Parts: sequence; C-alpha cells; structure tokens
Amino acid sequence: MRRVAVILLALALVTLAAVTAGYGSGRTANDHRGGTLKLVAKTAGGTLDPQVNYTLQYWQLYQATHDGLLGFTKAGGDAAFTVVPDIAENLPTPTNGGKTWVFKIRKGIKFSNGKDVTPADVVASFQRIFKVKSPTSGTFYAGIVGASACLKKPATCTLKGGVTADEQAGTVTINLTAPDPEFKYKLAVPHASIVPADSPAKDAGTKPLPGTGAYYFASYNPNKLLVMKRNPHFKEWSHAAQPDGYPDEIDYSFGLNAEAEITAIENGQADWTLEQPPADRLGEIGTKYAKQVHINTLTAFWYVPMNTRMAPFNNLKARQAVSYAIDRNAAVKIFGGPKLATPSCQVLPPGFPGHQDYCPYTKNPGTKWSAPDLAKAKQLIAESGTAGQKVTIVTPDDEVNKAMGVYLQSVLNQIGYKAAVKPISGNIFFTYVQNTKNKVQINTQQWYQDYPAASDFLYILFGCESFHPGSDSSINIAGFCDKKINAQMHKALKLAIEDEKAANALWAKIDKMVTDAAPMATLCTPKHIDFVSKRVGNFTFSKQFYWLVDQSWVK
Amino acid sequence: MSETVAGDVPAVVGGQIAVGGSPWVVARRRLLRNWIAIAMLGVFVGIVVLCLAAPLYADYVAHTDPFQSNLQGTIVVDGKTVPVMQEASGGLGLGVTPIGPTWDLHHYFLGADDQGRDVAARLLYGGRNSLLIGTAAALLTSVIATLIGLVAGFFGGIVDGVLSRLLDVVWAFPVYLLAISLSTVLLTRGFSVGPLELESGSLLLPISIIGVVYIPYVARPIRGEVLSLRRREFVEAAIGLGASTRRLLWSDILPNVVTTTIVFFPLMMALAMLTEAALSFLSIGVQPPDASWGTIILDGQSLLYTRPAVALAPGIAIAITVLALNVLGDGIRDALDPRAKLRGIR
Amino acid sequence: MLRFLARRLIAMVLVMFSISVLVFLIFFATPGVDPAARIAGRNADQETLRAVRKDFGLDKPMPVQYGLMMKKLFVSRDLTSFVNRGAEVIPQVTEAAPVTLSLVIGASVIWVVFSIGMGMIAAVFRGTPVDAAVMIVGLIGISMPVFWLGEVVNLLSQSRLHDTFLFSWVPPLGYTPLTESPIGWFKSLLLPWLTLAVLFIGIYARVLRSSLVEAQQEDYVRTARAKGLTERRVLLRHALRTSLISFVSLFGLDFGALVGGGALLTEVVFGLHGVGKLTFDSLQNLDLPVIMATVMYASFFVVLANAVVDLLYAWLDPRVRHA
Repeated sequence: MRRVAVILLALALVTLAAVTAGYGSGRTANDHRGGTLKLVAKTAGGTLDPQVNYTLQYWQLYQATHDGLLGFTKAGGDAAFTVVPDIAENLPTPTNGGKTWVFKIRKGIKFSNGKDVTPADVVASFQRIFKVKSPTSGTFYAGIVGASACLKKPATCTLKGGVTADEQAGTVTINLTAPDPEFKYKLAVPHASIVPADSPAKDAGTKPLPGTGAYYFASYNPNKLLVMKRNPHFKEWSHAAQPDGYPDEIDYSFGLNAEAEITAIENGQADWTLEQPPADRLGEIGTKYAKQVHINTLTAFWYVPMNTRMAPFNNLKARQAVSYAIDRNAAVKIFGGPKLATPSCQVLPPGFPGHQDYCPYTKNPGTKWSAPDLAKAKQLIAESGTAGQKVTIVTPDDEVNKAMGVYLQSVLNQIGYKAAVKPISGNIFFTYVQNTKNKVQINTQQWYQDYPAASDFLYILFGCESFHPGSDSSINIAGFCDKKINAQMHKALKLAIEDEKAANALWAKIDKMVTDAAPMATLCTPKHIDFVSKRVGNFTFSKQFYWLVDQSWVK
Repeated sequence: MSETVAGDVPAVVGGQIAVGGSPWVVARRRLLRNWIAIAMLGVFVGIVVLCLAAPLYADYVAHTDPFQSNLQGTIVVDGKTVPVMQEASGGLGLGVTPIGPTWDLHHYFLGADDQGRDVAARLLYGGRNSLLIGTAAALLTSVIATLIGLVAGFFGGIVDGVLSRLLDVVWAFPVYLLAISLSTVLLTRGFSVGPLELESGSLLLPISIIGVVYIPYVARPIRGEVLSLRRREFVEAAIGLGASTRRLLWSDILPNVVTTTIVFFPLMMALAMLTEAALSFLSIGVQPPDASWGTIILDGQSLLYTRPAVALAPGIAIAITVLALNVLGDGIRDALDPRAKLRGIR
Repeated sequence: MLRFLARRLIAMVLVMFSISVLVFLIFFATPGVDPAARIAGRNADQETLRAVRKDFGLDKPMPVQYGLMMKKLFVSRDLTSFVNRGAEVIPQVTEAAPVTLSLVIGASVIWVVFSIGMGMIAAVFRGTPVDAAVMIVGLIGISMPVFWLGEVVNLLSQSRLHDTFLFSWVPPLGYTPLTESPIGWFKSLLLPWLTLAVLFIGIYARVLRSSLVEAQQEDYVRTARAKGLTERRVLLRHALRTSLISFVSLFGLDFGALVGGGALLTEVVFGLHGVGKLTFDSLQNLDLPVIMATVMYASFFVVLANAVVDLLYAWLDPRVRHA
C-alpha cells in the first residue's frame, strides 16, 4: 500500500514538474502586455492633427494611432523603409502609364469611435489634406488630378477625377497628372492618414481625430500631458503595417528641461525622453547606464548652406575653400564624440539609396574624409579675391548649433574672413534663414528624410524649383540653381518610374555634382541616442520613424 | 556700516557751506575714514586693472587666443601631451570633456570651455565687456535720468505730466521683461534709425537697452528731490531776485541733485552688471564671439556637472565686483549724506 | 480720497493700454515674426502660406490685428497661440499662476522673517562687528546673480552632494502641485525658495536697519527711553512699527513684480513652469498672443502694487494726494 502511494506521489510530482517546466521556459508575448509607458519632452509638438503636424515628435506617435492606404513596415533597421499595404488590401502597380492607382479597401477596419472605414472616408481624407492646408499639400500631393483647383480654393476641394470611390466594389482610384514612383511613400506618411469623413474641415488643433491604429489619443493638454490608450475597436489586420502594441497606456508629459529628464529616467520616474542628452550627461549615461542607451545612425545630415547669390559665397572657390577648411573631427567633437557622429562631405547619407562614398574636400581626396586642408583653403580664398569680407553665421540658439556656429566663425577667421556669429531663437530660425529678405550668407542646418528617396535630399534641397525668393518657405536655402544639374535631376525622377537601380546610379552622380558645386559644406552624419529606463524592453528602432513606441514593453 | 553721530551737521544743507570746508572736501574726508569702503574701492580697482590687462595675459603669459576655437589642440601637463578636448573612454565612449583646471597660470589655469578655449583668459576679456557695459549703461541712465528729473521737477505742469506718464509706462513694464523683449527684437534685426545704425553684435545694443530700462528708477527720486528743492526758500528768493531759469538750474538745483546722482551711480553700475549677466545668460545680451561674465556662465551651464569651474568662476567674479560696488556705494552715500536721506535705495 | 482713487484707476488703465500697444509695436518690428510659415510647417508652398495667412488674419492692417487680439484676449477670451495651434492662451496663464504664487509666497515668507531678524540684530548691535557681519552677509546675497546661485545650488543638490544625507531628498528639477502631493510640493520648492529669498534678504535687512537707526534718533523714541522703557521695548514697540512703513511699501512693490512673473530667472533655472517661464518661453518663440497675455498679466500686478503702495502713503500723508 505504502509503495503504491510513493509511486503515485512521484508520478504526481513528475507531472507537476513537466507542466510547470513548460511555463517556466519561454515567456510569451502576452506576459508583456499592459502597463503605462511614460514619455517626457520639453515641449509639446504643436497640433495633434496628423494631416497638419510636420514634427518628428508626433510622426513617431502617429504610427500607432493612424493608418493610410499604405504604410511603412513597423520593424527595425532598413526593413522599415519597405512600404506595405495598410488600409488598402494590396500595393497596386499603377496602370495607365503609371498614372492610375486602384486600391481595394480592407473590410472590417474600424475607427476608434467604432465606425467602419469606408471608401467615402478615404476620399474625404484626401480632400481634407487640401482643406486644412497641409504643409505638403502643394509638394507631395500636387500631382493628383484636381489638386491645382484644390490648392487655389481649399474650402471647396473635391479632387474631382483625382480620388474617386466605388462603394460597390469597395475600391478607391487615384489618378495622377503624371507618373510618380515616389507616390507610394507619399501615401504612407501621416499627412495621408485616413480619418473619418465627418472630421472638421480645419486644423483639429488639440482635439484628437479618430484613427484606425492600435491606440487612440485620449486627451491632449499641450502644456502638460498627452494620453494615448488602446483602441478598443482595433483588431490586428497586418502585423507589418499596424501591429498590436504592448503598453495599455502611453503618457507623454511636457515641461521638464533636458537635465531633469535625464535624472528622471535614471530614477525610473520616466521611461524615455525626446531630447538628446545634454553634453555633460553623456559621460554619465555612457558608463553608469550603458545598458539603457541605444545608438542608431540616422538618414540625415548636418550641413552648412552658403548663399550662392550673395558675396562672398556667390564665388565657387570661396565655398569650396570653406569646405576644405572645416575640420570635421572638430564638428564631431561638438556633437559629442566619434560615437555620435561621423564626418561626411556629401549630400546623401550612408546607407541611403543612391549613396556612394565621395569626399573631395580633404587632404588626399577620395572616398572618405581624413583631415582639413587649410593650405588649399587659403589658396582658394586668395584666388577668389574675397578675403577680408564680412561674414555672419546664423544659427539657432541651442547648445550644439551655437557651438557649431562659434567653431565655424573660428574657421572662417582663420582662412581670412571677418566672421561673426548670430544665434537666433530656435523657433524663428528655420523660417528666418529661408527668406532671402534676411540676407543670410551662411548658416547651420540639419535635414532629416521624409521618406527614403534620394530626391528628398538632392531635389528638395538643391533643385531650382525649391527656391522662392522673398518667402519664408524656400527650402533651397543656398539659392542654388544649376540648369545642367537640374536637368539631370528631372531625368533621374523620370528614370525612377521604370528603372529604380539606374535612377539611383544617376542620383549618385548628381550627389557628386552637387558636392563639387559646394552650395553647402556637409559636416557629419548624426547618430541618435535613445536613453530609456531600466524597465523598457524590446527596444526597436525604425529608420523611418525612429523608436517604435508601442512595440516596447514595460512589464 | 556707518555711524550717525548725533549732532553732526550734514555737509550739504540747501547748498550752503556748513562746517569744515566745501561739502566735497568734508565728504572725501568722511569717505577716507570708512576703511571698509576704501578696501572695497581697492578691490574694484584691482579687478578693473586685471581685466584691462587681459590682452597682456593672453599674449604673454598664457600664449593663447581666447577667441579661437581649439577643439583639436593639445597641451603638455606634467610632461605628458594631453588633448584639450578629451573623448570619453569608459563605457560606451560617449561625450567629449574639456580639460579641467590645471592651476598653472601659463596655460588653462581654469581649464577649457566647450570650444577648447582658455577660460581664465576669457574671464579677463569677459570682465572688460561686463565692466564696460555696466559703466556705460549706468552713465547713460544717470545722465538721462538726471536730465529728465530736472526738467520734470523744475518746470512742472504739462511737461512734468507727460514725462511722468512716460516714466510710469516704462516702469510698469517689468524691468527684465522689457529688457528681454527689446533685446530679442533688436538682436534679430539690428537697430537702424536714420543715421544711427547698430549691428546686432554691437555692445551698444545691450548698453542702450539696459541704460534705458533703468531710467525711471533714478529719474523719479531725482524728480522728487527737484520738486522739494524748488519749494525751498533759497530758490524762491533767487527767483524773486530775478535769477534766470538757467542760472537757477545750474547753480542752485543741479549741485544738490548731482549728489543724488553720484550716490546712485555705483548702485546703477551694480544693477547694470547684474542685468547684463542675466541677459547674456538668456542668450540675448552680449553675442558670441564676444565674451562677458554672463556668457561664460551660459557656456558653463552645459558643462556644469563635469567642469563646474567654467560656471563658478564668472559668478564669483560678478559677486565680488557687485559687492565691492555696493559697499562703495554705501560709503559714498554715507560720506555725502550721512542722515540717510536716501535710505529707500537698494 | 475717492477722487484720488478714481484718478489712480484711470491712470492704471491708461498705463496698461500703453504697454499693450508697446508690446504689439515691439514685436511687429521683428523679421521672421510672420508666423504664417511657422504655422504652415516646413517646406510649405506659397498657396498654403497665403491661405494660412488669411486664416489667422495676418494679412490685415496692424490696428485691426491689434483690435482683434485685444478682443479675443479680454472679451471672448479664446485667444489661441501662434506656436501651439489650438492651444488657448488664458488657460496657459491660469495654470502657470499657482506655480509662481507658490514660489513667490514661500520665498517672501522666508525673506521677510530673516530680514526682519537680521535688520533688528544689526540695529541693536549698531556699530559693532556683529552689525558689520550681518550687513556683509546680506550684501553678498544681493551681489550674486540669482540664476548663477540657482545653478550652483543645482550643481550641489542634483549632482555633487546628491548622494549625501544633505541633498538625497531633492527631487529632479520641476514642480509638483500641492494637490498632488504636499510633501513633494514642499521638496520641489524648498531650494528655489531659499535661492530667491537670498536675493532679497540683504536688501530688506538694510532697509529695516537704516529705518530703525533713523527712528532711534527721533524724538518720540527719546521720550520713550526717558520714560524708562528698556532698549528692547523701545525697539520693538515704537521704532519697529514706524520703520515697517518703508519696509512694507518696498515689499508690496517687489511682491507685485514677482507675482506677475518677475522671478523668471529662478523659474528657468529650477524648471518651474510658472508665469515667468511662460513669459520667457513665449518671448523666445515670438508667440505674440502669449507674450501679450503674459506681459499684460505682469504689468497688471506691478501697476496694482504701485497703486496700493501709493494709496498707503496717501492715507498716511495727505500732502501726497495732491502731488
């Protein structure tokens, strides 16, 4: 009798062990669901309207709250550049010579207010881009049929013939005036989010608009707090386009300064900060908190546009001299050291489609920058005859930009100019330097990609059509307009429709041509630091939208 | 700090000579007896001399150009060659730290700032600008405020009404806010009115702004004093005797008012220097590459946790200078007017 | 008396009107102030800019724009920011006000208590080293730039000495509302209170001391002494009361200026989101609606404090009423 009891007991124990062993080994994803993610930033990012807001701060959040017909893959690294169908069922090949795109709308997707998404909502959303005067309405979406009428009279925008819905078939057809191989990207950015048809026809400001994402905006006070909660009507339809998220709630607080934010994360009172760590905390977080630091290269570049229509930089040799004289290692030091930036001479950042290493502005010109060539710089200045002229460098007044400006002033003085630095408020800086009326000779600038296309750097920044004298919005700050290079750019844009590889090769050549013409001096390719608290897990960095906020867990 | 000896006749009473020589001689004698004030005067003069000697220090002692960035430079410390801007080596290797104080007068006595420049040399050059702005702004304030106070107090009527309202409006606009507003606007644009053109980097901009903003502070007490002086018997007598306005102002009223102005002057210098430091700290005072004690504190803010010397040194310099000015101002006031007629001043 | 009041009231309104016009003029003279491009976003095209300009009424003549802004600020009270589209301005100010009030009231309690104590000690021990020492300490307090002192306090309490018992209780920079946690509120404000108070203790101690010293010469004090009252009694009962007049009037002016946002340097350095910081941020951003609201708010308190102090003097000295 006793022996049987012992055997039974042993069996029971073994079974128990077997069962619990299964639980103990791998943790399922469901174990991480829940909790509140706490984000902090110095200030809010402005309007919450996804069709108006143009800040990286909120584009990072829109990935989780809104969807377009297409979307960027929510994954880490370069996979993030791949466009996949989102609210549309398929990524269509455009017909009619590349001018017609037909999308089948998925059934069963609901907005956060419970209503179904219909083709009528899609049409209304595209009309709304113009009605709310979205910043890219005239640049990204001007190629849609009927757009020019909408740009002239936004209030009555119909996009007749441009965006039409077929409720029976459940499709939406978009007609363009000319083929556009970058159109798929333009449909994947937040400005093309699909919102309910009854959304107000003006900037929604602080009132959240219902979206289809895994989360919705529950409340927004731009002075204090933005709250995102799980969308109760969300059911994952495409893990690549809109995956389910881990935290139950995301709280984004505003108002702390950069130093306090770092301390808060160190103490576990916050999980992540938008701002890059201030210079004097870098050493601390790089050593004591190294495990909580994530560094990623950005598809971006820091450069110094030089006004090609004003003395002294209307002279090619003067501009090239500046590029030869800048010690890009010093610029990297200002940025925080070689772990946070790499020197660069050209426009396209490494890893970008169309990038080929090229650097003429160094000792031993070739593919990589090694050292400044002051002698060559001074010689070029002498040949240009611009020595002794007064130059004012305009920068925003934040720490790093101001330091870059002060350094540049030192360099310009060294090669023979009389340089001064003028830091102005970061909030007015960007429009100030674009307006030719302000007669800016040289300034510091950063450019981050909107989407992964070489034209987003070369054509937008250095194309003749991007120059608007007397306007606050003239992103071709250098005023650069070279007919030959511009023609090549148009050629590359057309080429991309048929042969993307050939087009990228042509863009690489254009990159070299623009770099040689030196409308700017490139400084470096920046890296991005994300400092998170100890409890944050599964940190994923998308090259398109940076940290995928809702794909990290806190439990 | 001073003693009021009962029964001592004040040196200045209605412009008439009282005891022991002219009021200025009596005052000077009194001031010289106040050894604390004299010591502070010595400190102040010492600071001024040191700052004026900035080019000498930079060229001959430290061999450095404090306006040239030196991010890639190296110096020799204890026989070893050390980079001025040291890249972090531990952990992830993030960040770049400037060299700390070497306590060697010949190079980087107080260390380097975020551009690799010698902080000690910049401190001296910065002192030049801070002292210059403080003195010039105080001068501007004193001269214009005295004029306005004289005119408003003496002529009364509509002139006084208009000027007083103007002073009220400027004074109601909180001092720092007005200074910040004007600085923000004028710095972006520069100031050009007719033939007068001030570029945004010019020191005249902070000087004028700080000078203008404190005018009501001095003008109102002066106006009050002129008002009360005007009613005094000796003035009425002079008017009765047929004295011209100009003579009255010049020989009777002005000398008394000048005492007040002089007493205010060190105080205004102190206030101007503190205001300039605040404006520069907010990035709207002295502009790079010029240095002032306020801009160096701003530079030091980004290095606060790793290289605090950069922020501490200029603050201490400001504190000592302003303290000296305050004590000196007290001494001057006690010497000229020991009955503390102007006790309301801070 | 009533006529005096009425005249002061009218003067107040006129002054505030002039200030609002002054602010408007100052900021419209700046280039890059045209908010249309900033509102429209980066790389916006010309049509978009034109439309945004019309939307915000930025294409109307200046007096009309001024009138519109004043109307939205005072009448319909729905003035919105140029920088944070849709964010109303008045709630921003009303939310920042408690922070400033907490900072200023706490600091003023500290500085009043300390300065009265120091002033009295200095007056009692007049002429001795104690007097000199107390005054020097006070003077040092006035001579330090307040933002620098704040930075030094931060350096010590947040970094260098943070791990010691002295400062381990210090929370990260920022404000905790009283309603959320009274202890947190107190902890977040203690160091800013002390920093701001140091600036004023020296001034007020000196003012009180010289008033006391002067009062001690007065006849009525001599009478009290002759009557046989102790020195301390004389000081506390008689001299102090009259000396407090100039002390109180000075306090009124300073308090008024601080409540309106005069403590902006302290707020900036300690990360407290009060009216001063709001004002400074709006000036940096050239956010004209917020600038107008905060400057109006600040000048209101300054003007009010001036009027109250003038009233006090008028009540005490009838000659002033007719000045």
